[in-house]
Amino acid sequence: MTSPAITELLDEAIVQEIADQAWTALVGEDEVLVPLPGELPADTLSAWVAVVGPWTGSVVLTCGRETAEQLTRALLREHAPAVLDDEDVADALGELANVVGGNVKAVLPGPSALGLPEVGVAPRAVASADTCRVDALWRGQPLTISVQGAVLDAVNADPSYGNGVPL
Amino acid sequence: MKILVADDSRVMRQIVIRTLRQAGYDDHDIVEAEDGRDAYDKVQAESPDLVLSDWNMPNMTGLECLQALRSAGSGVPFGFVTSEGSPEMREKAADAGALFLIAKPFTADTFSEHLDGVIA
Repeated sequence: MTSPAITELLDEAIVQEIADQAWTALVGEDEVLVPLPGELPADTLSAWVAVVGPWTGSVVLTCGRETAEQLTRALLREHAPAVLDDEDVADALGELANVVGGNVKAVLPGPSALGLPEVGVAPRAVASADTCRVDALWRGQPLTISVQGAVLDAVNADPSYGNGVPL
Repeated sequence: MKILVADDSRVMRQIVIRTLRQAGYDDHDIVEAEDGRDAYDKVQAESPDLVLSDWNMPNMTGLECLQALRSAGSGVPFGFVTSEGSPEMREKAADAGALFLIAKPFTADTFSEHLDGVIA
């Protein structure tokens, strides 16, 4: 049986809408994702959740490390410490990926399972035919959300604890 | 009234607590738990009046926590706050005895809709 490609199941507009809702609710009411591409800096951080089911892959959020820190402060607001540690940033970016991923999963055919968020170097993307990518700017800084098919060996090994840090 | 907030993400626990306050529930004691096992233990130790729990957590999921609590005879009011709100999960949650399932992302209005009948 051949699995459907992600581009047959959703499009960029759906992913953008899901991300917009997550941003407004979690990052802030006035925070918007402008659907324009930008060049990611060299030092990036990715957070992702795996989806395993009729379609198997990952929902990956990638941005510059500085952007990730600003997102963390936006999520924590007055509870943000003066100096953020890596665990805070991983937690915040992972939770954003988790919320976007959970809502992406909801529009995909089921039944499927969602893995726990992971943070690190993003899983390798497969063919562009099985990738739906949204490029956006938040506060003028680039980030990407990629719904990408799995490299099967990596996902089959363990969907929850792949090549990142389980949260 | 004491509310137990269970989520493996510290950031999300802060957001849930902040949203409770924004929804007007700002004079309640909050207890935090970092996974389902911790939530189960703290229900026994702290006797909260309500549990707001994530679903996907390491060690013990929110659903496993709820099932364990009911098996142990606890009838503590229990609701899910989770990134997955599919009809199948809502059915599983209701079958296990959950009062509601709030899907992330949520707003203060969403909290009010689900909690007004639960929190006095």
